[in-house]
Amino acid sequence: MPETENRNIEPEKINLAEMAKDQSYWASVKRQFNKNKLAVYSLRIIFVLVFIALFADFLANEKPIIASYKKSIYFPVFKEYAVNMGISEWPAEMQNISSWRDLKFEWAVWPLVPYLPNNIDFINAQSVGPFDEQEVPSKFWRHWLGTDELGRDVFSGMIHGTRIAVMVGLISMGIASLIGIFLGALAGYFGDERLRLSIASILLNIVSLFFALYYGFGSRSYILADAIGVSFGLFLKELFISFMVIALIFAMGNLISYALKNVPFLNRKIKIPVDIMISRLIEIMLSVPTLFLIISIAAISKPSIFTVMAIIGFTSWTGIARFIRAELLRIRSLEYIEAANALGFSEFRTMLKHAIPNALSPVLVAVAFGIAAAILIEATLSFIGVGVPAESITWGSLLSAARQSTSAWWLAIIPGFAIFITVTIYNLVGEGLTDALDPRQKK
Amino acid sequence: MLIYILKRVFIFIPTLIAISLLTFVISINAPGDPVDLMLNKSVGGDGQASEKLATEKSYEELRHKLGFDKPLFYFSITNATQPDTLYKIPQKTHRETLQRLSFTYGNWADISNYYHLIKKFENQLYNIKRNEETAIDLRKMKELTNTLYNNYDEFKINTIFNNLEFTLTQNKVLKYQLQGTFNALKNSVLRILENKNPFNKYKPDIHWYGTDNQYHHWISNFIQGDFGISYQDKRPVSSVLWDALKWTFILSSLSIIIAYFVAIPLGVLSAVKKGTKTEKSITTTLFVMYSLPNFWIATMLIIFFCGGDFFDWFPAFGLGTLPETAPFIERFFETAYHYILPLICVTYASFAFISRQMRGGMLNVIGQDYIRTARAKGVDEKNVVWKHAFRNSLLPIITLFASVFPAAISGSFIIEVIFSIPGMGKLTLEAIFARNYPIVFTVLMFTSILTLIGTLVSDIMYAAVDPRISFSAKK
Repeated sequence: MPETENRNIEPEKINLAEMAKDQSYWASVKRQFNKNKLAVYSLRIIFVLVFIALFADFLANEKPIIASYKKSIYFPVFKEYAVNMGISEWPAEMQNISSWRDLKFEWAVWPLVPYLPNNIDFINAQSVGPFDEQEVPSKFWRHWLGTDELGRDVFSGMIHGTRIAVMVGLISMGIASLIGIFLGALAGYFGDERLRLSIASILLNIVSLFFALYYGFGSRSYILADAIGVSFGLFLKELFISFMVIALIFAMGNLISYALKNVPFLNRKIKIPVDIMISRLIEIMLSVPTLFLIISIAAISKPSIFTVMAIIGFTSWTGIARFIRAELLRIRSLEYIEAANALGFSEFRTMLKHAIPNALSPVLVAVAFGIAAAILIEATLSFIGVGVPAESITWGSLLSAARQSTSAWWLAIIPGFAIFITVTIYNLVGEGLTDALDPRQKK
Repeated sequence: MLIYILKRVFIFIPTLIAISLLTFVISINAPGDPVDLMLNKSVGGDGQASEKLATEKSYEELRHKLGFDKPLFYFSITNATQPDTLYKIPQKTHRETLQRLSFTYGNWADISNYYHLIKKFENQLYNIKRNEETAIDLRKMKELTNTLYNNYDEFKINTIFNNLEFTLTQNKVLKYQLQGTFNALKNSVLRILENKNPFNKYKPDIHWYGTDNQYHHWISNFIQGDFGISYQDKRPVSSVLWDALKWTFILSSLSIIIAYFVAIPLGVLSAVKKGTKTEKSITTTLFVMYSLPNFWIATMLIIFFCGGDFFDWFPAFGLGTLPETAPFIERFFETAYHYILPLICVTYASFAFISRQMRGGMLNVIGQDYIRTARAKGVDEKNVVWKHAFRNSLLPIITLFASVFPAAISGSFIIEVIFSIPGMGKLTLEAIFARNYPIVFTVLMFTSILTLIGTLVSDIMYAAVDPRISFSAKK
């Protein structure tokens, strides 16, 4: 259908101004996308959200950004980054400060919201509303969006919650894209016929898989489990070591299989039905009740926002995989892939360097919708209090606070509205991308 | 067609096995001991030997009854440090400590000796008569010995031993009776440290257990329709689920019926009137409704319409307090009244979703040539829409059918939690929190089976509606 419509365009109808425009694929996609005003505005709001997420510490913090104290100038927010990284230490007079606002600064530049989400304002506890009487030194210290039951500032919670929402979207979809692109590309590019491996390398890879899992995870399970209890950074380090072990074992296995290929029987090639295997896997993933699965995993693991992101990532790659599979099924029979094969490049190189880059555009659509879904799932989880540690403040946990104090309407409206807007703008961007990438819409 | 269905049903099997394995892995990794959970108390504490023996006996009996005294799976892949009979040790926490110890020190014989000596020491403690002279120290030592079961850190174990020794030297009566075993216990620790063999953990060890294992028993019972016993209230899972299913079924089926009846005409209308103001406002509203998180709407409805500082129009929680003996009509209205808000929350999102799908399908069809032909030959608009376009635009709606089945069980879960409706969603969430795995298992398996059936049914319906689709002649 799309081809016939494109062919029907009569040459004289294309005017010169149109011709002068950049005719590359991405330029035309961008032009189409820009026509959808709603999607363009949504994208701008996303940039604002990312900005808030990046600079949350400078927008809402209990410490001043710049301050002069006892005749010397300090940058407490920057200093905190340095102290957390272990490069620097707090000066003696600034250690263990319970309330920064009581320090006698000569002058100070405070963040927009002078509270951290965890700061408890005892005077304004018991859910003080945005329009209620608040006992604060001046208008600057007002809780513009009210406080919750314990007296924590909602505005600050919203700003720092943005960081978590943005991170959840990016990290979980990052994981999902890696898995989805890899598996979908294997299924689409190789299909059931094209991947032919020698018996030697199949055998050796199966054996390597066993040893890799055993030495990478099995015999390191306690080390990994202990590391996640200490800090996320240490866990990443240990995980990296595990992956190095795995890579090493696979490299060894493949080296041996290379040597074994001289035996005629072991060098016989067998077709591997990758597509059937991966499609079945996708089918299994789709029939698993994902939300229940995520809740059950989150309920047995140690509460951590990164665990939640990882679980969401590992369960939501199917959409991306299906998109890229369909795209590669089409691309693999194009001439330029044949040309690359004829030039003698290895199949994997052709797939990675030539086929996948041209199939990535539909992934963008799946990622945009995926981010919206991930943010919604995380909000749901923290709303029911699963997986996210009790002390970390997210939009979902702020919203659930409204269930305890039913007269605090601001606790219901504000975080809920933020979740709604974020989910909506990602959906709108996704729709805009769908239209922009659809060749039928091209004019 | 029949062959196609059989083929599809055959493919269910690996999918279901995969899902059952997934749930099984989750359940065995869950912290907490299900036997303890069911007994409502743990073995140990300060009591007499006979009391301790009775608790231990009931623990082991229940463990046997639940089948936890069997190996986990058909085979195990562990390292050479662990014996293949570890599953025979009753308490889960003990098993975990021993596993960890043998992993670090790699000499199972010494560790097993250490474990038996702890048990012996503990039994001796319980056999000593309590009197004024011994009671306090005895109690302290029992507690300390009990902590030995949960510690694998060398430093912590040493601290416990120092404390034990200190108590022992303080009390002559105890020292006289216990010194011998205590010394043996202490020596066993030293022997573990001496015969350390940390390289054992790099030797893989595969062991085959056969079909007499926990997974096999669970899955074969499941196939025979026996879903086990709920840990919390000790009722059969099937009856617990049946009670919950009733409420969810009412909520979901009402919501589905309403959603379909309103959404389909609305979708058709907005497609037919494309470009007009009505259409634009309908589409925007539907899009907004589709993106509204339902737990937000539920929270807002509770805050604004269920007491609080605003309107007090609806009840916020539960299904009413009328007793079972109240007249049916009264109970019916009471329940219906409690159902209004949850029903709104469950319905609006699926309603918006269905309308949008219907609109998409209708728009696709209306642009086709045969609709233009129908219009050109003078068929009136009503007939064009309902007779020519509508039937063909039902395809996307049929795909949605696949999701209706599982949604009937789990779809309304968060709404049930918020409004405290004792349905499947609330039940499952509570079971997950209470680590009541027989229920979690069964719900996950049934939801998956329903999803698979739903997909199959929607594929078959596709073929029934659209004669172009045929399964028998696949290329």
